Amino acid sequence: MKRSSTLPCLILALLLLACSRPYDVRPCGPDTDRTTFIFPDYTEVTIPCNIAPLHFYYTDPAGKDFATTFSAGGTSVTLKGREVVWKEKKWQKLLQAAAGNAIEVSSAWKSNGHPENRHWLLQVERDAIDPYLTYRLIEPGFEVWDDLEIVERHLENFDTRIISDYRHTENKCMNCHIHAQGRGDRSMFYLRGEGGGAILNRDGRLRKLTLKNEAMISPTVYGEIHPDGRFGVFSTNQIIPAMHSAGGRRMEVFDAASDLCVADFDENRMLVFPAYSREDVWETFPAFSADGRFVYYCAAEARQLPAEIEQTMYSLVRIPFDASTGTLGSPADTLWSASRRGLSVCHPKASPDGRWLLFTVADYGTFPINHPECDLCLMDLSNGQLIDLTLVNAPKSDTYHSWSSDGKWFVFASKRGDGLYGKPYFCHVSPEGKVSKPFLLPQKNPYFYNQMLRSFNVPDLGNAPVGFDAAEIGRIWKEVPAEPFE
Amino acid sequence: MKSRSRRILAACLAVVLIAAGTSQCVFLLRHPYFRKYAAQNGISLREAREVWGKPDRDAEQILGMIVEAGEENWQKVADLAARKDLHNEVGTYYYNLANAMLGRLPDRLMDYYQPFERGLFLPVGPGSTPFKIACAGDVWFQLGYMPLAERDAMLGLLFSPEHTGSRYLRRLAETNLVTGDYEAASKFLRILLNSPADREWAEQRFPDRWSPAYELRIAEKRQFLPRFDMVHGMEQAPVALRILLSSNAANHPALDYLLCYDLLTKDLDAFVGDFDPSLTRSQLYEEAMLIFLAAKGGMTADNLQHYHISQQTFERFNRFVTLYKRDNGSAKNLTADFGNSYWYYFYYAVKNETK
Repeated sequence: MKRSSTLPCLILALLLLACSRPYDVRPCGPDTDRTTFIFPDYTEVTIPCNIAPLHFYYTDPAGKDFATTFSAGGTSVTLKGREVVWKEKKWQKLLQAAAGNAIEVSSAWKSNGHPENRHWLLQVERDAIDPYLTYRLIEPGFEVWDDLEIVERHLENFDTRIISDYRHTENKCMNCHIHAQGRGDRSMFYLRGEGGGAILNRDGRLRKLTLKNEAMISPTVYGEIHPDGRFGVFSTNQIIPAMHSAGGRRMEVFDAASDLCVADFDENRMLVFPAYSREDVWETFPAFSADGRFVYYCAAEARQLPAEIEQTMYSLVRIPFDASTGTLGSPADTLWSASRRGLSVCHPKASPDGRWLLFTVADYGTFPINHPECDLCLMDLSNGQLIDLTLVNAPKSDTYHSWSSDGKWFVFASKRGDGLYGKPYFCHVSPEGKVSKPFLLPQKNPYFYNQMLRSFNVPDLGNAPVGFDAAEIGRIWKEVPAEPFE
Repeated sequence: MKSRSRRILAACLAVVLIAAGTSQCVFLLRHPYFRKYAAQNGISLREAREVWGKPDRDAEQILGMIVEAGEENWQKVADLAARKDLHNEVGTYYYNLANAMLGRLPDRLMDYYQPFERGLFLPVGPGSTPFKIACAGDVWFQLGYMPLAERDAMLGLLFSPEHTGSRYLRRLAETNLVTGDYEAASKFLRILLNSPADREWAEQRFPDRWSPAYELRIAEKRQFLPRFDMVHGMEQAPVALRILLSSNAANHPALDYLLCYDLLTKDLDAFVGDFDPSLTRSQLYEEAMLIFLAAKGGMTADNLQHYHISQQTFERFNRFVTLYKRDNGSAKNLTADFGNSYWYYFYYAVKNETK
């Protein structure tokens, strides 16, 4: 009896096994989002000595008998198969052996019976990267959303933790989470709609704030927390979504008005300034300098939109900030003139070591994630020179960057490949200003990005876990009233 | 005893299984489109019933229109719509689309329920239902406006129960194949390739494997693409239609949609601005022009000739006006003879904002 019931199950299992196919790697090659022989493309990249194993797969659909040999410091490991998946301990041993040097990699396989070989390097930096990365997972949406999550990923392994989500907030909209100077115990994000507010994580204590008063044109939108923690600088924006009829930019988002303001988290006050609330100038994307003495932001002459969208270009400006009073001062110092360069700046971010300023540059406007031409731009603040980022930028949008707490690594969201879904890429910056080829956030499943239909929005590095989770945010959303600001 | 009770148990089990199977079969026979729509949304029949509930006959009719529209079986869509006027925005939306694709939108427009412009374009925004959002892109894909077709497919995917519905993935792949963004298309083709139900469809759409028929289809779709870039609001259907027509005046479905939009919103000034009698003709347009000309004092022989207004339509309009005046604007004696005229719609259709 036993035998007769086992046999059909066995046959069924074998049949299922025979019918099941591995992940299909096609399409690949030119004119697809998989143009390199491995994906993710980890060839010639620089990685930190504490990164999780780099799992990847070979994209050649006709390939077989794949063998990949990694050699460093007298250690050699060969992994066989289309998918290169590591045992964590072996990977760590290899990283330790290679720290400060390169891992030599040899890829060999047969394609339609012909042998193929590639030799490439993985440079391993001694500089560790901040081990935590937060990001919002969001499907490319247009004014509507569903099932949003903000996730914290441990970069040294594949662990993830949800720090805010739709399940605990009745599917509320939530904006991206940002650390202050890469600190895990100092960060913020917004929960929008009823019961929402700005969630401020200040030295590990959570507060829910209504960062708006009657003098402001909207609640706060973009901004940063001051290194001292007492103040935050923000823009208030009237944001208008629109569509492009052609040209691959899909959606355009612009501001019909925008100003700067400062939030005093000690006194629960919003500070607005006539000089930065002018109707004829739009100010946005404020960010503090590393020492907190200046605010960088983007400014554009007000125009008729959307008719003049292509003429709307933002300059990069710096103004003094008085950390004792929270005052935005003057004069304004233009670091990048939009009218002179004919391009538009967004998202300036100063490195916490005070050395660099990273921002994005697009043809026009203030919402570059759908602008394929949008590139990262790095300024050396010690001399105002721009660093060549040819190796970093791709023909699709590269934006939404953040620095590690030591200023040696940055992460950004790139839509390279499919052009639709943002993915986090990391770069190392040497003291000489040499920026490495970016590498994609490694995942446990090498095919992870093939199936992924959500963007990694605003990836942000942190040196420690944020210390709260989605359940706590849900409780605050439900039970804690938002503190008013005057 | 033991074996007898086992046999009884087995018999009971068999009866239950047969009953369940029969019930399932009956359900499938009565709701074939519900099953197909569930599959297109990436969920099983059981999950679909949990999420959407058990469909009634009207729902099955609407789902049938959606499924057949997805396969571009326009006559089937029209036949399904004609079974019963459901007085439903989605039902009208697909009936209008089918009639446009069959080249008869203006001729049939007044024959069934028209919830103003919402029967032409389903609104997409925070107040829209996921079901309507999921349908909203079909019209844009057929008219050739890929930015909105892609947007609505993205949103359809966003709201599909598992966020993986092949109906939307296929549309996303195809909009990008039409616009020539093969890198984006490859993302969706790869996902579809991993689904047994979609593998063949996806393989046939790899750009190096197109059949002559598919090449022709893409070429035809590309003829309708906007030729210039312009930034416009999210819900500006007339602007999108005018962009399409500026790019290709031979886009007749877009022209009919624009003119019908003007008429359903009772914007006769816009209609006259958009209407070129040398490009299209319809009794509907004749009727609309008569209201405009009467209001503007333009009932001249030249105008009647220019706008191709027949003597018969002119006389019928006079009868309508006579009865309208005689009955002090009451519709009582007009419904039977003029209920499917534009005049009747223009004077008596009232927008129900809550519908």
